Amino acid sequence: MKQYLLAVHSFEGAPARSDEETQRAYSRVDRVNNELQAAGAWVFGGGLLPPDSATVVRVENGKTTMTDGPFAETKEQLGGFWVLQCADLDQALAWAEKCAEACMEPVEVRPFDAEPDS
Amino acid sequence: MDMASIYRAEYGRCVATLVRLLGDINPAEEAVQDAFATALEKWDAPPPNPGAWIVTTARNRATDRLRRELTREARHAQALLLHQQDEPQEVGPVTDDQLRLIFTCCHPALASDARTALTLRLLGGLEVPEIARAYLVPEATIAQRIVRAKKKIRDAGIPYRVPAAQELPDRLPPVLTVLYLMFNEGYVPKNLIRRGQDPPDHRDVIADAVPSPSAPRRK
Repeated sequence: MKQYLLAVHSFEGAPARSDEETQRAYSRVDRVNNELQAAGAWVFGGGLLPPDSATVVRVENGKTTMTDGPFAETKEQLGGFWVLQCADLDQALAWAEKCAEACMEPVEVRPFDAEPDS
Repeated sequence: MDMASIYRAEYGRCVATLVRLLGDINPAEEAVQDAFATALEKWDAPPPNPGAWIVTTARNRATDRLRRELTREARHAQALLLHQQDEPQEVGPVTDDQLRLIFTCCHPALASDARTALTLRLLGGLEVPEIARAYLVPEATIAQRIVRAKKKIRDAGIPYRVPAAQELPDRLPPVLTVLYLMFNEGYVPKNLIRRGQDPPDHRDVIADAVPSPSAPRRK
């Protein structure tokens, strides 16, 4: 089994969703989460607050500095993520399709470097 | 049949089978190339079934390599893979080593220019300079595309299998595109002849790319 990160891309400045839309997305994501857990593919997942809540910590030459805001000043930011356990990329991609549909954002699939102990 | 035509005819098939046995492209290619090198030394005349000879030799080579290189644990895992007699679990409607590998090479998760280059290299048995010539790009570019694609297949866990029937409508078009380009590859010699260069013979690449229902299936 390999582990994959499913990263949700959020677009800063995209028109805000209505409460109704947000609720619909939440309940759809909940459904996918239940499905993932039932299939044994779930490792961890969650949504993130907007990037303006981020703090970046840097250690250079033994000196620590903190900066307000996200690491990269880009329009696309990490909005949330899943960590899944799948047999291969095809399985991960199939889940990613469901996840992207549920949260209505593009989802990037990336394999983890080290294989988990099986 | 001389060695060059045997190589052209059998390379892709042998690599495809070894990829199934080893579960990884690079060791499969190395094993097949080793086996052809051995054949050059040992054959006075080609055996009746050169492909089978190459596969057996390549498989033995791979086993030797494993003995030498891997840690005990990894060796056990690989040995199990090499000696299991069962076919890998097949979800698709067709069982065929080459077809399985072609679907891996043409996986939508790979960049489209990398798919073609990789398929021509692995299944068409074309060398990097030949592919570069066909695409009018520098050899280094093609080499890099192939290396990157192989790395992604391994790192991202792109499976070696023919997709299930319901996935085929999405997965077939990139395969057909690559087959079409392989077919096109056969027209390259004309341009080269015009430029007074040595024409590579790619007729068998085309023959492999266009399955004929009446041709006897070699496994």
